[in-house]
Amino acid sequence: MLCGGLGFGSLALNAMLRRDGYAAAPGSSSASPAWSPPDGVPHFAPKAKSVIWLFMRGGVSHMESFDPKPALTKYAGKTINETPFADVQDPEKLKRVRVVVVNDANGQQRNKVYPLQVGYRKYGQSGIEISDWFPHLGACVDDLAVIRSMWTTDDNHGAQVQFHSGRHMLDPRVPTIGAWVNYGLGTLNENLPQFIGMGPRFFDKRDGHYLGPAYDSVALKVDPNNPLDYASPEGDVSAGQQRLGFDLVRRLNHLTAEQYPHDPELEARIKSYELAYRMQTAVPEVIRFDTETEATKKLYGFDQEETRPFGEQLLTARRFAEQGVRFIQIMHGDGAAGAWDQHSKLKANHSKLAMQVDRPVAGLIQDLKQRGMLDETLVVFATEFGRTPGSQNSDGRDHHPYGFSVLMAGGGLKGGIVHGATDEIGFHAVEHPHYVTDVHATLLHQLGLHSHRLNVPGHKRLEQDYGHVIKEILV
Amino acid sequence: MSAAIAVDDVDYLTQIKPLLSEKCYSCHGVLKQESGLRLETRSLMIDGGALNPGDPDGSELLARITADEDERMPPAEDGAALQPEQIKLLHRWIQQGARAPEETPPPAPTEHWAFQPITRPTLPESSGQADHPVDALLAAKRVAGNVRPVGPADRSMIIRRLYLDLIGLPPTTEQLRDERPWEQIVDDLLARTEHGERWARHWMDVWRYSDWYGLGQQIRYSQKHIWHWRDWIVRSLNDDKGYDRMVSEMLAGDELAPTDPDAIAGTGYLARNYYLFNRTTWLDSTIEHTGKAFLGLTLNCAKCHDHKYDPISQLDYYRFRALFEPHQVRLDPIPGVTDFEKDGLPRVFDDSVDRPTFVHLRGDPMNPDKENPVSPGVPAILADFAAPIQPVQLPPDAFAPGTRSHVQQAAIQKAESQVESAKRELAAAKRRLADQPAEEPGTRPVDDPSWSVTDLFDEPAPELWRLIGDGWQYRDGALHQTKSTRQSQMARLVPPLPRDFEVDCVYTTTGGSTYKSVTFRFDQSEDGKYSNYVYTSAHAPGPKVQVAYARGGDSTYPAEGRKAIPIKVGQRYHLRVAVRDRLVNVWLDDQLVVAYQLPDRSDGFVSLSGFDATVAFDEITVKALSPDSELTAAGNQAAPSVDPENAVIVAELKLASANAALESVHATIAADNAAYVASPSPAEANSLARDAARKQLQATIADADYRMIADAADSKKLKSAKDQKSAAEKKLKELEKAQPDARPDYASLRGSKKALETPEHKESDYPAVYASVSTGRRLTLAKWITSRQNPLTARVAVNHVWMRHFGTPLVESVFDFGLRAEKPLHAELLDFLAAEFMESGWSFKYLHRMIVTSEAYRMSSSTLTADEQTRTVDPTNRYYWRANSKRMESQLVRDSLLSLGGKLDPKTEGPSIDPGPTAMRRSVYLKHSRDQQDKFLTMFDDADILQCYRRSESIVPQQALALSNSKLAIDMASQIASRIVADLKTDAPSDFIDELFFQLLCREPTDAERSECAAFWEAMSKLPELQSRDAADLETVIRSRLTQAILNHNDFVTIR
Repeated sequence: MLCGGLGFGSLALNAMLRRDGYAAAPGSSSASPAWSPPDGVPHFAPKAKSVIWLFMRGGVSHMESFDPKPALTKYAGKTINETPFADVQDPEKLKRVRVVVVNDANGQQRNKVYPLQVGYRKYGQSGIEISDWFPHLGACVDDLAVIRSMWTTDDNHGAQVQFHSGRHMLDPRVPTIGAWVNYGLGTLNENLPQFIGMGPRFFDKRDGHYLGPAYDSVALKVDPNNPLDYASPEGDVSAGQQRLGFDLVRRLNHLTAEQYPHDPELEARIKSYELAYRMQTAVPEVIRFDTETEATKKLYGFDQEETRPFGEQLLTARRFAEQGVRFIQIMHGDGAAGAWDQHSKLKANHSKLAMQVDRPVAGLIQDLKQRGMLDETLVVFATEFGRTPGSQNSDGRDHHPYGFSVLMAGGGLKGGIVHGATDEIGFHAVEHPHYVTDVHATLLHQLGLHSHRLNVPGHKRLEQDYGHVIKEILV
Repeated sequence: MSAAIAVDDVDYLTQIKPLLSEKCYSCHGVLKQESGLRLETRSLMIDGGALNPGDPDGSELLARITADEDERMPPAEDGAALQPEQIKLLHRWIQQGARAPEETPPPAPTEHWAFQPITRPTLPESSGQADHPVDALLAAKRVAGNVRPVGPADRSMIIRRLYLDLIGLPPTTEQLRDERPWEQIVDDLLARTEHGERWARHWMDVWRYSDWYGLGQQIRYSQKHIWHWRDWIVRSLNDDKGYDRMVSEMLAGDELAPTDPDAIAGTGYLARNYYLFNRTTWLDSTIEHTGKAFLGLTLNCAKCHDHKYDPISQLDYYRFRALFEPHQVRLDPIPGVTDFEKDGLPRVFDDSVDRPTFVHLRGDPMNPDKENPVSPGVPAILADFAAPIQPVQLPPDAFAPGTRSHVQQAAIQKAESQVESAKRELAAAKRRLADQPAEEPGTRPVDDPSWSVTDLFDEPAPELWRLIGDGWQYRDGALHQTKSTRQSQMARLVPPLPRDFEVDCVYTTTGGSTYKSVTFRFDQSEDGKYSNYVYTSAHAPGPKVQVAYARGGDSTYPAEGRKAIPIKVGQRYHLRVAVRDRLVNVWLDDQLVVAYQLPDRSDGFVSLSGFDATVAFDEITVKALSPDSELTAAGNQAAPSVDPENAVIVAELKLASANAALESVHATIAADNAAYVASPSPAEANSLARDAARKQLQATIADADYRMIADAADSKKLKSAKDQKSAAEKKLKELEKAQPDARPDYASLRGSKKALETPEHKESDYPAVYASVSTGRRLTLAKWITSRQNPLTARVAVNHVWMRHFGTPLVESVFDFGLRAEKPLHAELLDFLAAEFMESGWSFKYLHRMIVTSEAYRMSSSTLTADEQTRTVDPTNRYYWRANSKRMESQLVRDSLLSLGGKLDPKTEGPSIDPGPTAMRRSVYLKHSRDQQDKFLTMFDDADILQCYRRSESIVPQQALALSNSKLAIDMASQIASRIVADLKTDAPSDFIDELFFQLLCREPTDAERSECAAFWEAMSKLPELQSRDAADLETVIRSRLTQAILNHNDFVTIR
């Protein structure tokens, strides 16, 4: 048995009623006698309560966003071998990549240096350089930790799975970071799912994997009338009838409990019906914006056609965070590979996509800040990999797993800080390189969890899966 | 833990041993003794010189875990260094005297309980009532454990349990009152087809059934038509095929019975692991799950290094891989079907028979140990009863599927129909050349200017429309196509029509997937390969109206025939199409949108259809085009074939090409038969091969001749045709010059379709004829797994079956019977069942009967009557002193709802169907892949396609929402309520309530439950919103809502 919710993670009742069932099931009997499932209490005093996880699908060019490289313009048109940085292509430095599709058209080395497609400038007191496609994020750069030294090992879009789970496409599927957070932490609001997903999901549809479906995110739409599956009756059943129905079910189940004492499943089911009934009203309420001021809506870009869709999701995210939801995961960029995948027409498309997200994300950070929520809400703005310094198809860039950038903000992290660096043409993460799970470890740490204590017997986690806390960006 | 131990004392068993176990035992323990050292007990550590109690600094153990990189333990490649806290802990423990209880070192792995041969245990002395061996074995344990069983469940409750367990459907009230002996009911259920469907789903969990998925049309995982394997599972279970035979057919049906498609279908088990991008990943899945599913061995843990817990080496892993190395996947032809998109049998065969296997150093496929190729074999620890590998000689049907007679006949028929079609085209072209407008007078079936047909689609009109394919429905005054597919369903106009005509149609695209197209075809040939057509597409990126045409099955969508228009789903459109000779005009909502000149016309049908769309056709008129109608001339230039003289030449060349192709097919078949089936003299075979080679080249040349004229306007195509011709001519010359005794190369007839090994390959890269000898490796593996001497196979299988009847397995780790699996409490019972199972001919039906006829199976699941002592001693029911309640699997919830509502479609077998609220078949037949899973099923823990040895039984709020709000639950509640009411003799609510409880929960309600339901009835009848209803209507609503409440009762989704 597994009590809790799809995306409900460890509810209080979960801890209360959990027996040796699912989590302890496979091969666990003697491996680690000291193990017990998490009790939902942080391992140490947390800094943050919730995570808003924004993921740009397809691969954002790090050079044209948060890691500008003027050398690209300087050496434009030359092959990398003709520049002073020829050694970036030393095979030794490239061997960490694990290829899924041998000889794929994408995910190749691109040798002809492609100039920056956008200008950049310094922002804020910190003077951090951000490209002109992200002026609003630039304006709040003093609240951002810019990590410019990420690396991963998949040169194709399986890297989306990898960024969330820490494991390469060719490895078995394992729980994603959102699932681990909910596995480790108790709920703060029993009326709402604790792990919410919005936007176009990448091709691994599950989060919980061996933790079980209760740790999958609950897919949500910004539509108060139909926010999640089966949110309202698909037939002629009024609210009054439904209330009476739920009430009868509760009473009958309680009567049955007299015939079947000591039945934890029955107790859990009674509780799950109470939750379901409350959730039906609680979820749509969070998605209504009528209590938000026009100024707030504007902050998120509601006044512009391009920014409104993402803005609505982000305002929803804030409202869920406010209600104590632990992990809100939002994907941007649809299509099989993800919209940010600019093998060609980089300038036209990146500028358009950046416009869709720049104002809303900056608005979210400002809004969290003005409400005093930024300290306890950790915002991550990430993508699966960067793009090649060299050109592809004359006006695009290819996948680039060797060095790329992510942003983090709030949740007890420093603002106005750049951490790590790529080399002069943005090829390799050379200073403080971080594998993707370091982002996981950092946010777990801020939530008060030791990543090493999140494991389930019978499912070996490798050292790399746990990641390392990026200590330099902690306040 | 003793209270005397101070708080900061380190406890060996909970703090130290787990640490050493994780970090050290794999190299310094029972599996391996590096440097002769074992660390599993205190004495071993001291004797080995690693531990000096009381003296941390003098203990080698501590020195080594804190040493510098080269000396450090565990070595970097074997594991991470210990954390500082862990080192401190060890330090403190040693300092405190390294206290640990006396322990005996673990026995050698060969002594492990699960590796011992299965022998039938002696049954305990009968204790009176326990005549059934299962009960006798359980009773003996209960006595020893000092627990007492509860009594049996009420008869109707165990009948429900039995029905749900054996056939996965709830009993009817009549069946609930069945008074026949229990054994008779059991036998009846085991004989029903639904039994196979029910248990197939269990095994589909274990064997990882998944329909194909990928990206667009690219197959990346599993195979198309893998449902043949599902049907094989259902049938095998219903036929009570022995499990040994089932395993053998899954792993090596092609080697075991090379010409028997019913056996070969079992290899869908292997085909399911197909993965386009990476062969190692593909084989890793095969190895991992063959180990887990059949043997309960986690072979996968030995991929990068020797297994840390079990006696399985990395070499064992790659020897196991070598068993599978040669196999590939292909679709075999199904008689009567020539298109592999439509059907085909997914199967495996040994293809790359000489491909070597290498150990991947540290599990890295880029780093194979090429010096030391690995020979195929089973894990050494259990290899003593493995048979030697014997290659299997295959018959021609198997290795040259193109020689199957139905394939040859289909090839001839196809070539002949192309000849016929070319002849018709030639005749048409000649008519046109003779400047006869379209037709010779009178040849058209209709030459009547007043000809007209109108249909408002109010009711079926078979005299007007022949409805082909699924999904057609007449309702609400419209003809609906309710299935969004790309299948060729269509409504074909029955009456023949004039050559020049117009169509007026009002319709709505009501939904659909990608293209959302509504298509109006005309001139359509019987085989559908020739047609001219007009369609509207609501495909979001490029909605449009398009005139197009299909020739030889290939469609052309000319830009001049297209108009971008924002066609919307849900909007009614009025489309008008006028056709005069080759000129087509199209109006949408009375606006002319396209004027286009078709390359040619032909005789044929008019039809309406959707493509990726659901459509409602409201009304249509088809009538002769009035000679006075003014049409707008086409903007496009005449297509190349419109010059009538040229058209005749082209058609003549096409006919010549079709004739050459037909001859080539005949010659190829003769040569194939000589080469693979008959054994003529070499000279004769050579001569036939030469003839085939020649005819193939001549057909290629004839095709090039045709294309050189037909595609003359397209320089690229022209060049390709010229190149084709000169290459073929060159080869033909070489062929004529070659030695008469040389066996010339020709292309054998292709009978099957091999799945691409990697995305760079093309199907045409692969030969049509495969290796005639299979390595026999998989057959040897199958024989070893199903050997009576194999200690794991039967134990693992009966454990799965037991778990699904009793809710908990006898061995908790159902896929890991390795050293970490402790000897189970009920080891004798496990062995008894395993021995009986093998003894019975590996009969699952025998095993089910054995289990469900026990008293233990029929016990109550309530603890109400249990004594205090039993509950305290064994709260988790390890002794099976009561039945365990089980949550219905998702499939049971859905199937039960449909069955009780009287809506379950009993059709069995066949292609997987799209999930969703309109599907009414049993859940086992719904598509189940990464990209397609039924939403309702996912709410109740549907099987994870990647691994599902045991279903989760979650209890989540979404289940409550699904049972309260889904259309399925709401509709079925009404259905059930009206069925009950129809069968009842009275209108009294109390009778309805009693019957409802009996049907859904299979028991009578208690008085308290009756009064709760009566109170609900009362409260519902007072709801303000229902006051306007008349009494009968009101009661209908109340009964439906009450029924739905009982469907939401815990004990509906619970098997009590």
